[in-house]
Amino acid sequence: MSAAGKSTNDQIVLDNVSKFYGEVLGVNRIDLTIPPGITGLVGPNGSGKTTLMNLLVGLLRPSAGTVSVRGLSPDRPETMFREIGFATQVDAFPTGVTGFEFIELLLRVYGFAASDAKARAGRALERVGLTEAGGRKVAGYSKGMRQRVKLAQAMAHDPSVLILDEPLNGLDPMARAEVIALFRELSIAGKHVLVSSHILHEVDLISDQVVLLNGGYVVAEGEIGGVRDEMEEEHPVQVMIRCDRPSLLASRLFEHDHVVEARITNDRRGLLVSTKDADGFHLLLNRIVLEHDLAVESIVPADADVHAVYQYLIEQGGR
Amino acid sequence: MSAAISNEVPASPATTIAIGEPAPGSAALRRRQLAAIIRMELKKGFFGKRAIGLWLLALAPPAVLSLRLLFTPGDSIRELFDLAQAQAIFAGAIYQAFLLRVVVFLGCVGIFGNLIRREVLDRTLHYYFLAPIRRELLVLGKYLTGLIVAGFLFGLSTAASFLLTFAPIPGGSRFLLQGPGLGHMFAYIATTLLACVGYGAIFLTLGFFFRSPAIPALLIFGWEGIHFLLPPLLKKASVIHYLQSLMPVPVSDGPLALLSDAPSKPVAVIGLLIFAGLLVAISARRARRMEIKYEED
Repeated sequence: MSAAGKSTNDQIVLDNVSKFYGEVLGVNRIDLTIPPGITGLVGPNGSGKTTLMNLLVGLLRPSAGTVSVRGLSPDRPETMFREIGFATQVDAFPTGVTGFEFIELLLRVYGFAASDAKARAGRALERVGLTEAGGRKVAGYSKGMRQRVKLAQAMAHDPSVLILDEPLNGLDPMARAEVIALFRELSIAGKHVLVSSHILHEVDLISDQVVLLNGGYVVAEGEIGGVRDEMEEEHPVQVMIRCDRPSLLASRLFEHDHVVEARITNDRRGLLVSTKDADGFHLLLNRIVLEHDLAVESIVPADADVHAVYQYLIEQGGR
Repeated sequence: MSAAISNEVPASPATTIAIGEPAPGSAALRRRQLAAIIRMELKKGFFGKRAIGLWLLALAPPAVLSLRLLFTPGDSIRELFDLAQAQAIFAGAIYQAFLLRVVVFLGCVGIFGNLIRREVLDRTLHYYFLAPIRRELLVLGKYLTGLIVAGFLFGLSTAASFLLTFAPIPGGSRFLLQGPGLGHMFAYIATTLLACVGYGAIFLTLGFFFRSPAIPALLIFGWEGIHFLLPPLLKKASVIHYLQSLMPVPVSDGPLALLSDAPSKPVAVIGLLIFAGLLVAISARRARRMEIKYEED
């Protein structure tokens, strides 16, 4: 996802973007090229996630660098926002509107004719499961319903880029699963879905690629597996193997330099192995299993998810 | 709680233009967007929670005049005023001192000063800024909405105050129906509308440059209040100077006033319109580069 040498017409590109609030750093020297698909933006509070999203849509102006979304500049909102839908974290709505009016009135501002705006508002509410509640005032909605009506508003004009700041906050598990499924469908259709979240396992679940931010800097980016592989030297990959003879397996594995740690679990049926060479380790494991006829129940990566990457890069790095 | 969420992705891309739909960037699309903004804003302007104060402000002059009628015996009014006196009192005390300098001025602070600022405080401005619309058009739409609201409320207030002043006095009905009365009334209404144009543009612009328009508004209130003491050149930098020349009955500024040539009516009207246009253009330019940051990430 680096900025160099890629066509920008179907990409989101941030070229050396910095944003300072006076002397306070928002984000610094961000170079990103984000392809279509679901991209998770992860980082602790104050890491610059919202700043980055606001820079993409022109609600904030970069102190340095340039931003383009599918070749469009935030300096021309009249063309850019035909392609972008943005649901902010801000939980505020125009006073006194119903869910339907909220979407329909804004669609009219977008330039849609009355009949088209009504039809689109109806469809958007249907897609987020709010058809019945559409006639009620937004002020009376639950947090989850307000999240969904914001999502519906962002999608109502069928943009090719959806930017969603913490869209899963406040959703119940069922709605959460349905919204994630909706993101997947949009991604398959070739759209950009840029999602920020602090719920790491959800980002892991939904994202094709991730951008990890900390202190205003991008600390890692790319497909989560690739990001994890690049950290092998500093943070050996951990694999959990459940088998009938973990002690034997441990002793054989320790004969090899790339295996730096092996711990048998309390139930004596599992072995947690740390290795600096994941590919070499799997070949070795196959050989040992065959040689000793081990009964293997499961082999699971123990730290190849966003959570582990986040912990290594941000939490441990910050110490 | 959740109902089913449809995962069907619409086949039509965002940029598809339906037959008969205005093309992106066309004047027809801009007109449609402008109308949509005005429609959305008018509801807030007339019926929002904050509109109550404006209605009360606009009703104040006719309410005061109605109370005066209710609590003053009819004969006393006839004895107190003749037509000439009533015209002078309406022009100086009721219209210029009360309606124009207090009611319209404060009303314009409330309406135009909050067009952008209130949306920032309510944290709803981003909905407009995230729409495919030129921000200049948004500013124009909001300004026009402010003009409609202010023009309606204070135009009505002017007309009601005029009628309540002249209808009860001897010769008042003849003045209104057969004399120049109605013409005067429409001239006062037009002056009120131009006051809204001028003050509206000022407070719209101040809303972009100041977090709270109260202090600059107070300074302008003072400036407008002492305009008659200003030398001729500085007089030209006050809205009231131009509005005075549009009033059908001249108002004396008192013995301390520094005399200067009043602008002709066409100069006053065109001058105010150009002045307002410039300020709206400055506001639009400011909006183009405006950032929104409601809270820390």
